[in-house]
Amino acid sequence: MRALRLAWLTVVRQPARSCLGILGVAAVGALLFDMLLLSRGLILSFRDLLDRAGFDVRVVASDTLPFNGPRLEDATALARLIASLPEVEAVQQVRVADAETASGDFRRRIEFVGADPQARPMWTIVAGQDIAGRGEAALVINRHLAQTLRLSPGSSMSLTGRCGEAQGAPPLAFTVAGIAEFPFDTATADTVAGALSAAGRLCGRTTEDTADLLVVRSRPDAGADAAAAAIRRARRDVHVVTSDDLVQQFNRTQFSYFRQISVVLATVTLFFGVLLIAVLLTVSVNQHLGEIATLRAIGLTRRRVVSGIVWESAMLVGAGGILALPLGTALSVWLDRILRSMPGVPADLHFFVFEPRALVIHALLLAMAAIAAAAYPVRIVAALPIAATLRREAVS
Amino acid sequence: MTPIVEARSISRVFPMPAGPVTALRDVSLSIAAGDYLGVVGPSGCGKSTLLHVLGCVDVPTSGTLLFHDRDVGSLADTERSRLRLREIGFVFQRFFLLPMLTAAENVELPQAEAGAPRAERRRRTMALLEYVGLAARADHRPSELSGGEMQRVAIARALANRPRLLLADEPTGELDQGTGEQIATLLDRLHADGTAVVVVTHDPAIAGRARRLLRMRDGRIVDEAPR
Ligand SMILES: Nc1ncnc2c1ncn2[C@@H]1O[C@H](COP(=O)(O)OP(=O)(O)O)[C@@H](O)[C@H]1O
Ligand SMILES: [Mg+2]
Repeated sequence: MRALRLAWLTVVRQPARSCLGILGVAAVGALLFDMLLLSRGLILSFRDLLDRAGFDVRVVASDTLPFNGPRLEDATALARLIASLPEVEAVQQVRVADAETASGDFRRRIEFVGADPQARPMWTIVAGQDIAGRGEAALVINRHLAQTLRLSPGSSMSLTGRCGEAQGAPPLAFTVAGIAEFPFDTATADTVAGALSAAGRLCGRTTEDTADLLVVRSRPDAGADAAAAAIRRARRDVHVVTSDDLVQQFNRTQFSYFRQISVVLATVTLFFGVLLIAVLLTVSVNQHLGEIATLRAIGLTRRRVVSGIVWESAMLVGAGGILALPLGTALSVWLDRILRSMPGVPADLHFFVFEPRALVIHALLLAMAAIAAAAYPVRIVAALPIAATLRREAVS
Repeated sequence: MTPIVEARSISRVFPMPAGPVTALRDVSLSIAAGDYLGVVGPSGCGKSTLLHVLGCVDVPTSGTLLFHDRDVGSLADTERSRLRLREIGFVFQRFFLLPMLTAAENVELPQAEAGAPRAERRRRTMALLEYVGLAARADHRPSELSGGEMQRVAIARALANRPRLLLADEPTGELDQGTGEQIATLLDRLHADGTAVVVVTHDPAIAGRARRLLRMRDGRIVDEAPR
């Protein structure tokens, strides 16, 4: 009967105490696991959304977030120059415009994304066809819009540009070619995509050659950094960011709140887990001082009784930690749904994202917790004076 | 006959806030194979302390304890553990069986610790439970046993690794007279089977069976009577 088996029997033959410990660790472990998923969830999810669009470098006119700053002038020439670089595989001009549906009394605000119909789209078609080869009047619309306006492929739709000073541009007629998912759509956004030229025409700017953004796909053998460097060399006046840059920028700013919260909560959570197990073990050790002193008296070494306690701690924390995984996963799905229902959050952006790394860290942190929780009861047992304890337990 | 254990003028002083308490004063004693020693005396006279020192769970403040001619004072903690495991059996007033183990598992524990192979362990455990008359209760946990039964399991556990010396501290203190009688008979039997026995007791029935009777007072042996 090695220390491991003795610890095992101690755990399984005190089911009430063990259940209490395991459930406590499971609750704490579930929270801990969720905090690990949260700490990098946004970054992973954001990265995934960026990758989904299929472009890894973005070119804008200035150092602001896309669509907030000035536009790129002579966009076609710029796109051609970039496309000619050996590190670049594809370039796509993007121009966004504010529009509204002109039909009925209710004016619905719509985001119009103009892009080159011949290039690979940044959206994913889920019904019908893409706009490629269908001329300037073809549109793809997002699901939300299709559902609320009951539109389907083949429907016609009329849009008016909201053009600030150039108010009063006539409505344009479009035909819905298909329904698509846009990576950064929020749950309630109304987004449509059509030809680049249509985005200009919405505000009557038919001759203007501007773009809000160029999206660039690097050649796989060159990579995003090399492509970005080549673009910077070719045109010093534009601002070039890779997907990595964007992720890091968000990581430093917006997402860091979630990371800090998750670190604080994980630490507090872990502390309570350690406390719970330490208390359970300490109480059980103190209840059995006579037996422990007897074990020492009949010849078990100090190391042997100490390792029994460490094993016991490891079993309680281990079982709780495993139970924490399904519990934490369920909890994270629920919490994720709550957070994603915040307005302005892209519908496909997740706050809690699983990665194998989280499992490894979860296991490591719990292993440390098991050792920390055992530390105090181990000290009691290691320092236990055998004779004095036997005497005290006999007279008490 | 060479003694199993020999105490040479040992003293044990406990430093206490209100001043040192001397539990043993200059005690010399030798226990040989085949001995059956009873220790009696008023409460607080140092009987348990003597047993603890003889059993190598406590160290004397001064004097020498020789176990098989080895100075116990010079042994490291693990060596003393080993000595207790293989040479000494302990029986206590309060039994101190592990509550989450069955009777058989309690008896098996010291054998496993000593590295006995599983099959041999099982055989010896059953033989020992048979010896103390509890083979039928092998799979019972201590909470399911009576006081006398628990003490018999504790004796079986003390005998697990065939010790030369069995130390019992008021083994019948928690038991009624009839049950105490059973334990006394069991001690007799294992003495007859070759184990040296030292038993601290207030129970005249047990004291009466010992071959040597040690009277203690105030930490001293005041009288040693062969019987
Ligand atoms: N660990 C200890 N700390 C302080 N005093 C002790 C300790 N162990 C024993 N004593 C004291 O030593 C004396 C003898 O105790 P003990 O050997 O238990 O007596 P007995 O077993 O004969 O009743 C008592 O006065 C007791 O208070
Ligand atoms: Mg005593």
